[in-house]
Amino acid sequence: MSVATPLRVIGSAAPRTDADAKITGAARYTVDIDLPRMLHARTLRSPHPHARLTSVNASRARQYPGVHAVVTRNHLEGLNPTYGYFIKDQPIVAIDKVRYIGDPVAAVAAETERAAVEALALIDVKYEVLPTVGTIAEAMDKQAPDLFESEPMGIVPAYGQGASAEKFPAKNNFYQFRYRTGDAATFAEADHVFEDEFHFSRLQHYHLEPFVAVAAWDHDSLEVWSSCQNPFPLRKELARVFNHPEQNIRVHVPLIGAGYGAKNNCKAEPIAVLLARLSGRPVRHCMTHEENFLTQSQHAAILRLKTGVKADGTFVARQSHILLDSGAYSDASPLVAEKAGYRIPGPYRWRHIDTVCDCIMTNTTPAGPFRGFGGTQTSWASESQIDMIARRLDINPYDIRKQNFLALGEPFVPGESGMDSDLHVGLDIVAEEIGYHKSNRAEGRGIGLAVGFKDSGGVNKPATVQVKATTTGGLIINCGTTEIGQGVTTAFTRIVAEIFNCPVERVRYAPIDTDITPFDQGTNASSALVVMGQALEIASRECLDQVMVFASEQLDCPVADLVLDDWVIKRGDEIHPLQLLIMGYYGGTGFEFVGRGFFKPSTDHRAPLESQCVSWEIGWGAAEVEVDPETGRVDLLKLVVSGDAGRAIHPDVCRGQDEGAAVMAIGQSLFEGMRYRGAVLENIRAVDYRVPLARDLPIQFTSITQEQGHGPGPFGSKGMGEAGILPVASAIANAIEDACGARITSLPITPEKVLSALDNLKGPDET
Amino acid sequence: MSGDTVRTIRFALNGRAVAPTVSTNLVAADLLRDQESMKGLKIGCDQAVCGACTILVDGSPTAACATFSFMLDGTDVRTIEGLSDQGALHPVQQAFRNNSAFQCGYCTPGMIMLAVALLERHPNPSRAEIIEWMSANICRCTGYKMIIEAVEAAAQAVGELS
Repeated sequence: MSVATPLRVIGSAAPRTDADAKITGAARYTVDIDLPRMLHARTLRSPHPHARLTSVNASRARQYPGVHAVVTRNHLEGLNPTYGYFIKDQPIVAIDKVRYIGDPVAAVAAETERAAVEALALIDVKYEVLPTVGTIAEAMDKQAPDLFESEPMGIVPAYGQGASAEKFPAKNNFYQFRYRTGDAATFAEADHVFEDEFHFSRLQHYHLEPFVAVAAWDHDSLEVWSSCQNPFPLRKELARVFNHPEQNIRVHVPLIGAGYGAKNNCKAEPIAVLLARLSGRPVRHCMTHEENFLTQSQHAAILRLKTGVKADGTFVARQSHILLDSGAYSDASPLVAEKAGYRIPGPYRWRHIDTVCDCIMTNTTPAGPFRGFGGTQTSWASESQIDMIARRLDINPYDIRKQNFLALGEPFVPGESGMDSDLHVGLDIVAEEIGYHKSNRAEGRGIGLAVGFKDSGGVNKPATVQVKATTTGGLIINCGTTEIGQGVTTAFTRIVAEIFNCPVERVRYAPIDTDITPFDQGTNASSALVVMGQALEIASRECLDQVMVFASEQLDCPVADLVLDDWVIKRGDEIHPLQLLIMGYYGGTGFEFVGRGFFKPSTDHRAPLESQCVSWEIGWGAAEVEVDPETGRVDLLKLVVSGDAGRAIHPDVCRGQDEGAAVMAIGQSLFEGMRYRGAVLENIRAVDYRVPLARDLPIQFTSITQEQGHGPGPFGSKGMGEAGILPVASAIANAIEDACGARITSLPITPEKVLSALDNLKGPDET
Repeated sequence: MSGDTVRTIRFALNGRAVAPTVSTNLVAADLLRDQESMKGLKIGCDQAVCGACTILVDGSPTAACATFSFMLDGTDVRTIEGLSDQGALHPVQQAFRNNSAFQCGYCTPGMIMLAVALLERHPNPSRAEIIEWMSANICRCTGYKMIIEAVEAAAQAVGELS
């Protein structure tokens, strides 16, 4: 697929930079941090989904052998004890009420985890149990109990053209985002208006390294090691919660054992920090597998779409109402609502869009960022409905997409940036690979297409980075982008090596330490290449310029006469090792050149989200299925996914992102999901919650990395870590309808749902 | 505290004789990580489901999180730290490296030990056998295909060595 010219290290098949550490067991994660005198924390969690706390008595636990500190609501004085993104509603431990099964009530720090667990049993908590809301519908009922009797503190950020939001707009509703463009009267120009409803399920992230943090106080200095995707926002939030100066908080982020979105903002950290302060000892707070499930999940959703089209398939107008199940605390729900609301049009041309997205509170685990960030929900609904509309109008689903795609460079909506991938190219690739245009389908088999869609790069994210060159030509990147498995250390060391025209072994990616590392907003939103990458390119070129200007001064000639090659300056046939030039001028102890890079999208009120999206992340997918009409069983015979890397910095890393995301989506499509009975999570145990295994792969499973070359990142690159999860569920549902005529509109697509849909097709007389 | 009877056990850990003193309710994962510094062993679900903590006990892949330490008495135990031979990577490690068969790396030591056990029993497995065997462990990052390909490559390398 590559059309670009070969470069020195970019695109090479050489192993990842983190390969040796990870295959030998030498890689160190936050779970491996072991400090002298370190205590272990465990949390007492609510057994009730909704209850008032009448009393909490921890005096017996405090006396238990090995226990050094116990935290309850009585230890929050002097703190701002609640945290959150836009809305500060989640307490470190419950204050007045508990709002879901698993809500922290108290925590213990002890010499061993076992002593801490045993001490938890001695904490006496009295509850007054309250009525519960387990679903979106229950929460919106007029008679439903209120999760919050008074509104927690929160903000609504500035929005640009067509976008607006309101916090606490209705009962049990954290936040409502709305986006409008064009005139509602446009619907009158549509020949057909279709209204359909879709239901989206809820995954747990299932990162194998749990939520874990270690906190240590030394007089007024707080040091935190955390498995965290956004160390600087974490530092800011801890400073606010603990009323502690930001300069006296130092956050380290070792390698992260995955996150998929879950490890943003406060998770294990506040309890560790508070217990460390009370005990005067370092405290490790490492959650269990079940506690992961009680801390964060994806958003289940109901999506209602009203779509107007012309008889020839031209899209005219779309209204939508999305209800996100946000769980008991707001977490990132308002941000997910922005993106779900904004992305529901998909990569198509419309004359009118009116979309509302609500964050509904329920007595369940708080939902937060999850790979796809609202785009997975909207791609499921939109790409299903587009297929349904095509079939209703007897238009080929491939054609209706091609007919309505935004063109390369065409703005997503008024005031927005243009598409930086050619949508037609990707669709043709997956259609070709799966054999979409072959006329004969075997009995019971069908093929479906889908085009998943989201923006990438976050909203208005600033990024700063530093690149240093040492006397001997060592290059050091100080950068806040965390290595969470996505391969950022590999990509960024390659980019710097390419710019300095040297082997990648010269480049080191320094450990993250907020005292030293330049500011970054976080490793999320597929922003590493398109946001931080742009800053990195600036820093590298600035550092390189200093080196070249220095060399030109030493050699008394224009920079243009010189070539840098592996830390040697070449001028025609002359060779000048830089090390000697540097020591000749700066002395035998040497010097360092330092380049700094900064990038931030411009603030722009014409853009709906106040700055134009940096990039667009597209996941093209095609699925072939066989449906057994007797059992409703769906066999996924073949799955093709394709993302656009713009330029593949490391081809295997790109492939791994697409394939890993697609397999997550296979689980969501066919069997995986958190099952709630009312407000009780039934499949919380590892043996009960099924994630995809190697044996769940389709026999034919292909990922194709495109390199279209239009990305804003270095060398034309783009983010692609989320694209692969976006199209899979709708491609499968579309393939099922193609195979047997049955349309499934809720996930996961179980045999029961397929059988029931097949029965409905037959009509009442035949069932 | 019940279950705290202490005893000394003896086993071979990566070819070296060790004789730790353990309480009878200490699990192998904690013994190996905390007392023997085998931090390459990772604990994921802690319920013998995910396989991140896979070690080899007398050649059998074993969930260290669900194995009592005393059960290691008299056995031969191997962890990821003992796999390379004086700095030379095991063919499975080499294949995981060359095929980028990892992302976050948290499941990787367990996956590699699982694959080593397979190739010691079946030096020439079919792709279907590899898929079934490797389905014992969970990787949430890679989508497995690159892991399967790495095990195939390792099998081929082992075949060429023998």
